[in-house]
Amino acid sequence: MNCRDVDHALIESENPLTAPLSVQAQEHLMSCDRCRQLIRTLEVSHSAEGPSPVLLHQLERSLTEDLRPVRPLAPQRYLLAAFASIYVLIVAFGAYRMGAFAISVMSTLQAVATMCALAASSAVLTYSLVQQMVPGSRHRIPPHYVPAAVMISLVSVMAGVFHFQHEQNFWRQGWSCLRAGVPLGLLAALPFWLLLRRGAVLAPRIAGAAAGLLAGLVGTSALEIHCPILDAWHILTWHLGVALLGAVVGFAAGFAGEMATRSAQMAHH
Amino acid sequence: MLPDSITPRGAVANTKQMETRLQESVAPRQSFVDLNRWMERYQRADPQAPTALVVALSPPLLRFFRSQVASREQADDLLQETWLRIHRVRHTYRPGEPVLPWVYAIARRVRIDGYRRTRRITMHETAMDVLPERSAPVGPGNSLPAFDTLVAALPEGQREVVTMLKVGGLSLDEVARATSSTVGAVKQKAHRAYEKLRKLLEIHPEGGLREEVNELP
Repeated sequence: MNCRDVDHALIESENPLTAPLSVQAQEHLMSCDRCRQLIRTLEVSHSAEGPSPVLLHQLERSLTEDLRPVRPLAPQRYLLAAFASIYVLIVAFGAYRMGAFAISVMSTLQAVATMCALAASSAVLTYSLVQQMVPGSRHRIPPHYVPAAVMISLVSVMAGVFHFQHEQNFWRQGWSCLRAGVPLGLLAALPFWLLLRRGAVLAPRIAGAAAGLLAGLVGTSALEIHCPILDAWHILTWHLGVALLGAVVGFAAGFAGEMATRSAQMAHH
Repeated sequence: MLPDSITPRGAVANTKQMETRLQESVAPRQSFVDLNRWMERYQRADPQAPTALVVALSPPLLRFFRSQVASREQADDLLQETWLRIHRVRHTYRPGEPVLPWVYAIARRVRIDGYRRTRRITMHETAMDVLPERSAPVGPGNSLPAFDTLVAALPEGQREVVTMLKVGGLSLDEVARATSSTVGAVKQKAHRAYEKLRKLLEIHPEGGLREEVNELP
């Protein structure tokens, strides 16, 4: 056994404070001064001064004074269902209002790949948002990577299944797509925000970017069903542009919220 | 069954008793066993629950803040802020889920906010005189540098992980949850932190660590 194995034993122990080290690790400690010192230093950390009784009493009193029963947050599956319902309803509304012209001109591969990519991206974002509403949740992907990962995947899929062509009226047609997609994103953003407020989001910028991206994807999905232009440049710029715009606005809103909270705290201090 | 170190509010008659209970409740994980039940009672507004939770969780939380920020006053402020936030968002605790990652995720956020607030304030302040350096404390009962002094030399992420593991008594999975990270990333940070701590101890096994702390890569 070497020093690295001792580290491993220290890290892997089921109960990091009280579990004894293995016999092999203890044998190594007999001969290794460096490891012995490390263990001694780490053990010292257990016996340190605590909070003053006065402070504890203050804390107890302030918590007890304002004690009311609260209803725990709805189970995860209900929150997931709520996000998914809002998403599907607004996309359906958008497709109904604008017409589903893209489905008839897309090939089967394009239709399946696009819809699957959008559904998977929305599912990943929704799951991440629901986890972010509860502090200390388990994250399969760290939440700060999720928006970027989703955007990269969508760009890759769209660039892979659609052809790059020279489109006439690139700006004019793009502008009309943007004008159709953004209001749907805004329409979705409000209920998403109301849902998020039920939880305790600890990183408003990251949650804001994820929620904004999800709202933007509502607009993108409706455009993918509606817009018959199959040029990859058009889709990447204007359809995914709605999602990107949503992420940027969501990030900015989260940042503004964070700054407002901090300013209020500074004034309080 | 309630943990021995946690007694109902009525029993908190004088400060000596509380001090004794505090000494007992510093860090040992056994006292966390019934925290889930206390959290559920806290959500139902049981008046004994805040006392039990504050007594059980405040010492490790204070140690967590002490290893991350310089002064005792700041750590006390952060502890109070943490409890206020815990109280405000107590409805987000899901019964049956582990309490420690939930609490430490909130504490971690409070620390980040506190750090940014302090940085903003100090940016607008002008130092009038050179402040005396804090002497590197030495761990009780031996000549090694104190835990807080040593971990102060670690990068923020590693310091956080080591403190949660060794002071908070969280498991790898719980640290991953509290830091919105993965178990693999936590293990990697802990490995790097221990390697760096060994190097620090090698340089100055008898204390006197201060000058060297910032020179390490």
